[in-house]
Amino acid sequence: MSDLKTVEPFGEGFISALCPELILFAGLILLIVIPNLGSGKFRIPGTQTRVPWLLGGNRFKLTSDPRLPSWIAVLTIGTSFVMTILSFQDGVERTAIVSEGGTQILMINAFSRVFELIFFGALTLASFACMNRLDVKGIGAKLSTEELYNNRRQGDFYILMITCALGMSIVALAQDLFVLFIGLELASFSTYVLVAFFKESKSGTEAGMKYFIVGSVASGVGLYGLSMLYLWAGSLQLDVLATTFAQSGNEALPMIGIGFVLVGFGFKVSAAPFHFAAPDAYSGASSPVAGVLATASKAMGIVGLLRILLIVAAPESSEDGTVWLVCLGLLSIITMTWGNLAALGSTNPKRMLAYSSVAHAGYMLAAITAIGAWNWDETLSGDPGEAAVVVLAALIFHLMVLVAFKLGAFLVLSVLESEGGGSKLSSLGGLAKREPFLAVAMFIFMISLAGVPPLAGFVSKLLVIMGIVKVALGDMSEALSTGSELGLSDVHWVWWLALAMVINSAISVYYYLRIVVVMFFEEAEEGRSGPLPNGWQVRFAILVCLIATLFMGVASEKILQICETAAQSFNYNWA
Amino acid sequence: MAGSSGSGVILDSGMVQYAPLIILLPMLAFPVILFLGKVFNKNPFWKNTLKEGGLIALPVMAASLIISLLLIKDHLGSFAGIKDSLNILWVNTSVWDGGVLEPVTLGFGIYVDHVTVMLLFVASFLCLLINIFSVGYMNTDPINDNKNHRFYAEFVLFCSAMLGMVLADSFLWLFIFWEIMGLCSYLLIGFYYEKPSAAYAAKKAFLTTRIGDVFLMIGLVMMWDLFGSLDYDVVFNSDNIAEVAAQSSGTLQWALGMMFIGAVGKSAQFPLHVWLPDAMEGPTPVSALIHAATMVNAGLYLVARMFPFFGDASMSGELVDLAFIIALIGGITAVMAAAIAFVQNDLKKVLAYSTMSQLAYIFTGLGCAMYLANTLDWQNDDGAHYIVIVAFGAALFHLFNHAMAKGMLFMASGSVIHEVHHAHHHLHHHDDNGDDHHEDDFDAQSMDNMGGLASKMPLTATAMLVGSASIMGLPFIGGFWSKEGIIANAWRVAQDDPRFLIPAMCVLIGAGMTGFYMSRMWLKTFAGKPSNEVAAHVGPTNTWIKIPLFTLIFVTLSAIIFAGMGFTHWAPDSEYSFMSERGLAEGIVYEMKHAFANSDSFFFVITYVAIAIGAILGPGLAMSLYGGNLAEGEQTKPWMKPVIRLNAWVYARFNFNNSSIAESSLTRALEQRLYIDYYYDMAMLKIVAAFSKKSAEADTLVIDGTIKSIERGSQSLSTLVRSLTTGSARDYILMISVGTLAIFFFLWGVA
Repeated sequence: MSDLKTVEPFGEGFISALCPELILFAGLILLIVIPNLGSGKFRIPGTQTRVPWLLGGNRFKLTSDPRLPSWIAVLTIGTSFVMTILSFQDGVERTAIVSEGGTQILMINAFSRVFELIFFGALTLASFACMNRLDVKGIGAKLSTEELYNNRRQGDFYILMITCALGMSIVALAQDLFVLFIGLELASFSTYVLVAFFKESKSGTEAGMKYFIVGSVASGVGLYGLSMLYLWAGSLQLDVLATTFAQSGNEALPMIGIGFVLVGFGFKVSAAPFHFAAPDAYSGASSPVAGVLATASKAMGIVGLLRILLIVAAPESSEDGTVWLVCLGLLSIITMTWGNLAALGSTNPKRMLAYSSVAHAGYMLAAITAIGAWNWDETLSGDPGEAAVVVLAALIFHLMVLVAFKLGAFLVLSVLESEGGGSKLSSLGGLAKREPFLAVAMFIFMISLAGVPPLAGFVSKLLVIMGIVKVALGDMSEALSTGSELGLSDVHWVWWLALAMVINSAISVYYYLRIVVVMFFEEAEEGRSGPLPNGWQVRFAILVCLIATLFMGVASEKILQICETAAQSFNYNWA
Repeated sequence: MAGSSGSGVILDSGMVQYAPLIILLPMLAFPVILFLGKVFNKNPFWKNTLKEGGLIALPVMAASLIISLLLIKDHLGSFAGIKDSLNILWVNTSVWDGGVLEPVTLGFGIYVDHVTVMLLFVASFLCLLINIFSVGYMNTDPINDNKNHRFYAEFVLFCSAMLGMVLADSFLWLFIFWEIMGLCSYLLIGFYYEKPSAAYAAKKAFLTTRIGDVFLMIGLVMMWDLFGSLDYDVVFNSDNIAEVAAQSSGTLQWALGMMFIGAVGKSAQFPLHVWLPDAMEGPTPVSALIHAATMVNAGLYLVARMFPFFGDASMSGELVDLAFIIALIGGITAVMAAAIAFVQNDLKKVLAYSTMSQLAYIFTGLGCAMYLANTLDWQNDDGAHYIVIVAFGAALFHLFNHAMAKGMLFMASGSVIHEVHHAHHHLHHHDDNGDDHHEDDFDAQSMDNMGGLASKMPLTATAMLVGSASIMGLPFIGGFWSKEGIIANAWRVAQDDPRFLIPAMCVLIGAGMTGFYMSRMWLKTFAGKPSNEVAAHVGPTNTWIKIPLFTLIFVTLSAIIFAGMGFTHWAPDSEYSFMSERGLAEGIVYEMKHAFANSDSFFFVITYVAIAIGAILGPGLAMSLYGGNLAEGEQTKPWMKPVIRLNAWVYARFNFNNSSIAESSLTRALEQRLYIDYYYDMAMLKIVAAFSKKSAEADTLVIDGTIKSIERGSQSLSTLVRSLTTGSARDYILMISVGTLAIFFFLWGVA
């Protein structure tokens, strides 16, 4: 708390603090302006004088190249990504952007930076891979109207990608629930449109529409919860809410408000039973977009949940704050079981991955529950926050590595999709013979999702489970130290979450490996043979994911350190 | 709960730190050859210049040999009694064991003592020679085209495992490499897996040795139970042995007995011998390498490794029964295999049975040495010490001689088969393209299709002659020096313990039988007139094949030098260091005197009886029945002329009609391998097959049934869960409302 630096909007240090976001903003403007540059002239009203103002008219050949927007987007988000990494180099300075009244609006610290990394990384890779997905036809007069139309849409797609990134990073930075909501909606609206972007396809439109309607309802409930909190505390500032909650958190109003907020974010992380639109959205959207939904968008929902549940309603600040924990624990078990069961019978690989993403949401909720359940009584469990930091670091690590293998899996499906397949399990048949690289990459992503050592997925799952067990043990430390016999009834209830995770992981291996079986042991469908459609960008993105999956599994040490710093900076009451 | 983990290398000075390379180099060559072979298959450079991997394997094996030789030199040069070792730790952790954290280390180590050194030389030397031979043998046969990378890859993997087994520092690692060898043996016997007989033979070899391996594993588990470790350092420690001996010497005998059954399987001894003759389906280099010179010695090595248990003072007299069983199995196999070899017409099968019989000699020798070590107070009494060491050394020396001679014999037989095959091909198919030459039923391995080859293939014939003489134990040549020792020691032990009269008689009779069947083989193949047109057109062999033959002729003939260097003294024991007792010339004189003019009248008689039976009676009988003069105008090398001339004289003078014996029921039984295979098959069909059918049923019903029902259950749950995803946004919103209300009521109820 001591070394907090406050910056006023556009004041000193503002640019360096918000560098990634400002880059995104600049990129956004560039994306809107550049494709529209042309020999357009502006007629001064009332006269015949035409002044060239470079907008509209005949577009310049260079700037209207349909490939340009994608490169601008990739470079923009990529630069933000690199800037975020650079900011880690000499330690992230805790910086708060304050309003004129002195209230904190945005907070830059290791925690938000790490999440920015997750968002920007996923979006960069997805945008890069999308270069092969949108039909770029080159430029010239020979284009048909339809093709021309497709080319014009290039800009729109990547504008949405950037706004999505911007919205997400605002969520990560927000210190005020209202700002957080604005960021959430900015990102959400972008994703709604991205899902429905291929409006010519029936499923895309339908999925986008459903996602929008259901998402709006969930947001509405969440906003209602926020308004209840405002009604109760008179402020939406996180620190104000936390203080108030500590004093009178056991009232019905804030409890129910938090319950409603849980619904809003539950939809974002696709927790059961709010996940129903997710499988439809994932399978209707193009695969890279689905990948973004499953990784970046989910991480955003998690940030929201963490803010609400752990800062506002953390039990350290309130004796009775633990009420929501049981609720969340139940939710997590339902979510992971539901997701895995549904994925078992799914024959559409995209839906299967969507359900697997639901299951992963369950694991993350379990982790959040465990953090909340940490016994904050110093005399009982030693260093307060130690185990909580471990679990939170594990959770952040999990979200990080998820970008590598979940997005990677979606990108592999994306290549199949450009051939017209990808929505049926059988279209993966014979992939090992058709394109060994993709098959091997998919194999690694699958076993990483299933949690096989030494891949990233194993490390993250292991850390989460171990963290949960640690929390459970920490709470039992008194009983353990006296050496009395422990029965199952003495075990802290959080421990059962770890057990549920282990059982669910075992179930999940079945459907992950089924994909592998189809790829390696089944023949290709009729009419599908030979290599898949070209495109080095998507393959390069897959390669990056593959290397990241392997690297983060083997050399998790360094990244875990970053995650731990991030976890420590999340709540300044922790060590 | 796992504790801390770490890794470290404990290094000893000297060559031993490079010893892992001996194993590692071939191990790494395995994937390289396999991969390159897959990628560059049919590529002319790969095929002609690199010989499909043969010339990648060659330098690797050469490097292994060189490091081995340096290691051996280092070891022999050092002071007596020093054991080199190297330990590489991988995991150093602890196991929670009811309240105490017990340290557990996992690592690999190198253990070098006298026995290791001897077998290390045999293995690495023969691996290299057979590799050279393979280049001449495998790459010139069109049937192997584009498949040889598979051969060389499996070959180097085998060599790696063999060397690893020899160098390993614990019974556990020995077992691991042992199993890798078993795998390679399976793969290489089944190299022509498209041939049903080869596939069958591979399966048979694998399953038969598996029986032994299961017992070996049981033995190792028992040993772990006794000692708490399988490291040589722990189990050979005299204090540990004494502790075990005080409590459960009987259990130790059982453990060693179980391990001995493993050795019986690997070394093809009765009753687990049935796989070895069939294993000749593999390419000849494989027969030479695995089934004559190296892998079958693994069993002997394992038994030799047990020596410290027999020799320890605390176990004195406790392991006599096991020593007797070892010697007995050896004796039975020696006679049985030799008898079956009488009637074999397949060149390689004769050699296979001969291998079995000679390994049996070594087992007998080891059994006798173990008996002596177990009964005599050899660690304190110098006279007894000498007796034990020489008995053990004779067995090891026979292992050495046999490996060299049999490797050479197999390579020579391969050369014969190769050339007969080519001659046949040349004669009958010289006008077509030659891919269909395996369709007729001409058997290039049958000795009935040979005869008189001494003039056509002089080097091969010489190698065969020297090898046969070494196996027979003709005075002054190769195996003579060791075989006499084994026979003499068997009779020495028989004086102490009358039970040993059986193996002692067996090895004595076996010597005569060996003389007969080895002579028969040589005469049928090389002497006499060509038995058909094909044999008359055989040509000389190529250089790749000649190099190893030439080398081994030299090695076999110089066995007296090894004997003179005191092989039988330093090989088994650390008390004697290399060449420490006497100089070379003096040693040779000593050995000569010891063999031919023994001061003990009993051994004097035994020696000459053995010589009379093995070197005169057996070969004489064979000469009267087979062979004869070469065809008109054919000339052979001067050193083979006397043999042929003697043969012709005996053949003319003493020939008799043996058809009454040849048609007797005993001969038929021998031709059917004493019906042992037949009864095994019956037993398999009646008992094992019925049992496995039952257990397969149980598997389907219970295990599969359970898994299937779990699967069905979760699938139907999955269908149920997914049916809630109706696809209608209205229903989704309904579910959200339900969830919201549930949370609302939950919190309301609690708050």
